[in-house]
Amino acid sequence: MAHKDLRSFLAAIEASGDLININDQVDWDEELSGIGRLSCERNGPAFMFNNIKDYTSDWRILANPVAGWRRFAVALGLPADTPIRKLYDLYAEREQKLIPPTIVKDGPCKEVVIPGDKVDLFDLPVPMVHEGDGGRYLGTWDLVVSKDIDSGWVNWGMYRFMVHNEHLLTGYPRPTSHLGKMLLDGYAPRGKFMPIAIAIGADIPSHLAAASTFRLAGDEADLAGGLGERPVELIKCETSDLYVPATSEIVIEAEVYPHGVAQEGPYGEYPGYRSGEMGNAICARVTAITHRRNPILTLDTTGFMDSSAVTTSITGAIAIRRRLEKHGIPVAEVYMPPEGGVHMAIVSVRRGGAENARKIVELLTARRALVSKIIVVDEDVDVFNISAVLHAFATKCHPARGTHIHRYEGRANALTPAYSLEERVARSGASVAFDATWPPEWPREMTPIRATLDSMYSPDVQRRVLDRWNALGL
Amino acid sequence: MTKEYATFVRDRTRLLNGREVVLTLRDLMPGRKKYRGINVRAVVSQPPRPGESRLWVRSVVGLKDPNPYSVKIVEELPELFDAAPYSDFFEAMEKAERR
Repeated sequence: MAHKDLRSFLAAIEASGDLININDQVDWDEELSGIGRLSCERNGPAFMFNNIKDYTSDWRILANPVAGWRRFAVALGLPADTPIRKLYDLYAEREQKLIPPTIVKDGPCKEVVIPGDKVDLFDLPVPMVHEGDGGRYLGTWDLVVSKDIDSGWVNWGMYRFMVHNEHLLTGYPRPTSHLGKMLLDGYAPRGKFMPIAIAIGADIPSHLAAASTFRLAGDEADLAGGLGERPVELIKCETSDLYVPATSEIVIEAEVYPHGVAQEGPYGEYPGYRSGEMGNAICARVTAITHRRNPILTLDTTGFMDSSAVTTSITGAIAIRRRLEKHGIPVAEVYMPPEGGVHMAIVSVRRGGAENARKIVELLTARRALVSKIIVVDEDVDVFNISAVLHAFATKCHPARGTHIHRYEGRANALTPAYSLEERVARSGASVAFDATWPPEWPREMTPIRATLDSMYSPDVQRRVLDRWNALGL
Repeated sequence: MTKEYATFVRDRTRLLNGREVVLTLRDLMPGRKKYRGINVRAVVSQPPRPGESRLWVRSVVGLKDPNPYSVKIVEELPELFDAAPYSDFFEAMEKAERR
């Protein structure tokens, strides 16, 4: 069972040696996020900053809650050294056992209530994450609640928000995101403000659910319950009928303007670059802030190997697997290496060939196209073993016949650094499947055999070699 | 103490056309309110003019021009520009400029 709130999770990662407390004063202006950034790049621990320049010791900042497999394992209530494949299996299993939330009347996130007319976003130690960002980012590891104006469907997503002034936030949920669609298709045409709630520092399963690629009209609160193996306690907002996890450290209640823009970005994003996608965003005025006493503002020092890269490695891969299975692809396993910045997927299939590779790239880009490189391998290649995948890609993917490019308009990922500014604005792009499988039409007796111990030696020799290897203590 | 601001531009030549331009400035005054945004109508100069606030110009990927500018704020504007959500922010500013 996962931890009920952020604080019990922090106690667990401190016990496993995956959290470092910093009590010396650290600057919110680039310094603490620089420490967090370096930690991501060196596979280091999470950091809790207990003494932040310009702010009282009431406020703390936690950098990179789950930017690493060890912390991800602890977040699911498992030992820190749980293997990645087991984490994938367990996530997929729990994802199928949804547990509805419970509603509570009181909760820790209401310990301090600041009404809209008293709100000053600069009272929160919102960090300047990277030098040269457009501003200070509040929503880097958050959970944004919104509700469809027609159906009443509630969506949770993880979207970035930047402080513009004392009460105005600008944000960039993609226009193709569920929140973006709710605004553009529902509220904006009617000229109505869209209520949102930005929950920061909720229990980790809730954030995992928000970051997941969950089905349209699916309830992420149910998913969070399933992932954590306990119902999430939800509590009503002060200024809207939205509900947020009651143990959240901070809740920003706001309304998105149906009309009007202000500067948003640029921002060093999860693909690991600041790509110049600035400006095309939404604006929200804050209507209330509630928080726990001694609140913890969570920060993902966005970029290479951040918390979202690790999280999406699992949530994205499982969503891909389910989609491919649904459409009859003989998929064996899917892995999204976090180093790929949510741009790469490795898919192993029980039957290879060009037709499947083409279908895979078309299916994975049908609605929105976040993944732009897909390596398709035979099922005897371990998708979690990057050396084995690279070997298959380098040797089995035909440079001409094995490359399947699929172009699209209006749904490309505007954060993909490889795209030109014009392509990002038009959301025009392409994805490619590299088919590193043997063509099924090749006769078995003519298909090359891999020169590895497990493929080119008899089972008897393999056993004897492994016995000797172990006896040598290697 | 001279005030300092930063701004982000898609086309730097727009700044120095001798006319008033519409910009979003981020206040670089150290302290809790650093990076607060204001929308302004202003005149930008390079090299910086004595007595005017210092302005650092960044590109859309955040690259800082090492040569400083100066900015004279003529008028503070409302916090939102008139455009639909997800509209091009730079076009919205240019539209405000033509008014």
